[in-house]
Amino acid sequence: MRRTIPLAICLGMGIIMMAQFFIPHPVSVAFYDLTTKWIRIVSAFALVLGVGSLILYHIERLQRKRPGWIYSIVTLTALLITAFIGLVWGVKPGSPLQEILFKNMLVPLNASMFAMLAFYMASAAYRAFRARTKEAALLLIAAFVVMLGMVPVGAAIWGKLPEVAEWVLSVPNMAAKRAILFGVALGAIATSLKVILGIERGWLGGGKG
Amino acid sequence: MNLLENLLRIDRKIIFIVMAVLVLFPLLKPLGLGVSSGPRAKAVFDAVDAIPPGKTLLISVDFDPASMPELYPMLVALMRHCFARNVKVLLCGLWITGAGLADKAITEIPPEYGKTYGEDVVYLGWKAGVDAVILGMGENIKNVFPVDYYGHPLDSLPMMREVTRLKDIPFMVAISAGTPGFSDWLLYAQSRYGMRVGAGVTAVSAADAYPYLQSGQLTGLLAGMKGAAEYEVLVQKNGYSKAYMPAVAAMDSQSLAHIVIMVLVIIGNLAFFATRRKRR
Repeated sequence: MRRTIPLAICLGMGIIMMAQFFIPHPVSVAFYDLTTKWIRIVSAFALVLGVGSLILYHIERLQRKRPGWIYSIVTLTALLITAFIGLVWGVKPGSPLQEILFKNMLVPLNASMFAMLAFYMASAAYRAFRARTKEAALLLIAAFVVMLGMVPVGAAIWGKLPEVAEWVLSVPNMAAKRAILFGVALGAIATSLKVILGIERGWLGGGKG
Repeated sequence: MNLLENLLRIDRKIIFIVMAVLVLFPLLKPLGLGVSSGPRAKAVFDAVDAIPPGKTLLISVDFDPASMPELYPMLVALMRHCFARNVKVLLCGLWITGAGLADKAITEIPPEYGKTYGEDVVYLGWKAGVDAVILGMGENIKNVFPVDYYGHPLDSLPMMREVTRLKDIPFMVAISAGTPGFSDWLLYAQSRYGMRVGAGVTAVSAADAYPYLQSGQLTGLLAGMKGAAEYEVLVQKNGYSKAYMPAVAAMDSQSLAHIVIMVLVIIGNLAFFATRRKRR
């Protein structure tokens, strides 16, 4: 029963929502409107689940003293302080959450993390980007063309370089990207159908039916 | 141990210092390499330029502070372009960490053009449930956002009386640093409601947007800091703004950073192959 009811809801709603897409009748539109409201409400519960899962994961790390457990203290403390400030003073513009935690802590920390990427990329590229094979050499040349073509110095070196970079992105890159997209889309359709028809039941969890 | 072997064992701190100096130098003393605008950025510019005065551009702020140097200049340039042409701006976001950044832009840019909040610009804020939010906005924006980011009921904002659903908005630009982002707007707003969508993305995710450009689903693309710089140049060239152009200023740094990485890769390869031959 615990599995039958969710499977029946999934099958029914899956078929109804597929059909709804092609029916512009006011009843169909109103039903669709109601459904999107429900989705938003259920999504809000997902946030609660996420926070709960995060807390349990880090408590378990602390209890078992796993490597790096000290960072779990930092995570949990930051979570508690953020939640406390948000609950007490609110989240509106001008609140301590926005002014202290977001503008003066999150923005510079987040920007610093991303800025450091350039340094690590330079070091990693120096050590790891080797033209060991013909394919690697081709990749290296394509990377150089795009890197130069995407910055003003590329056009200063050779006026046609931005066009060559654009060609690399528009033709070989796009062919590969499109193939990946088709693969992903077909996979998503197949998985959706398996879920709707009850063939794929992983989303129900591992409990007994 | 010869020079090439030493090069392979170079301390990464030296690489970091070289990179830092070459990134900082052009910021202090610009090289003035100049930025020319490409067709992708021009397409976004033309689409915004075609919005009749009094109508609205929707901008989705789908990025966080990590991507701010690349994407925030796009947001600012787009807002300046709109306000100079008396086009209204509606902001929303699919990333909660982008909420403060949109608020920053709302605080800084409209006063430059004497624009008023509620009449010329509105910020809806962030809501959980990406696809449901976009689909809901397609039916009725007020259902998804009964109040704006600042807590004003949408009915009390004059601008929102004319903008009730996505069909009332002629064009939108999704400025995104990843997922959720422009692909979600394409999937739900473009395919379901026929909305015209342009995108502003980080340089690393630009390649992902190309298939949608060729298919015509994306009207135009601002790719990375270069895209932001191109848009800034277009806005300034057309007389819509005389403000400082942060992305254009940063392009010299990016040029040198790219050259450093390329030189390092070449040196690394030369040293690797020379030492390998020697070992054989």
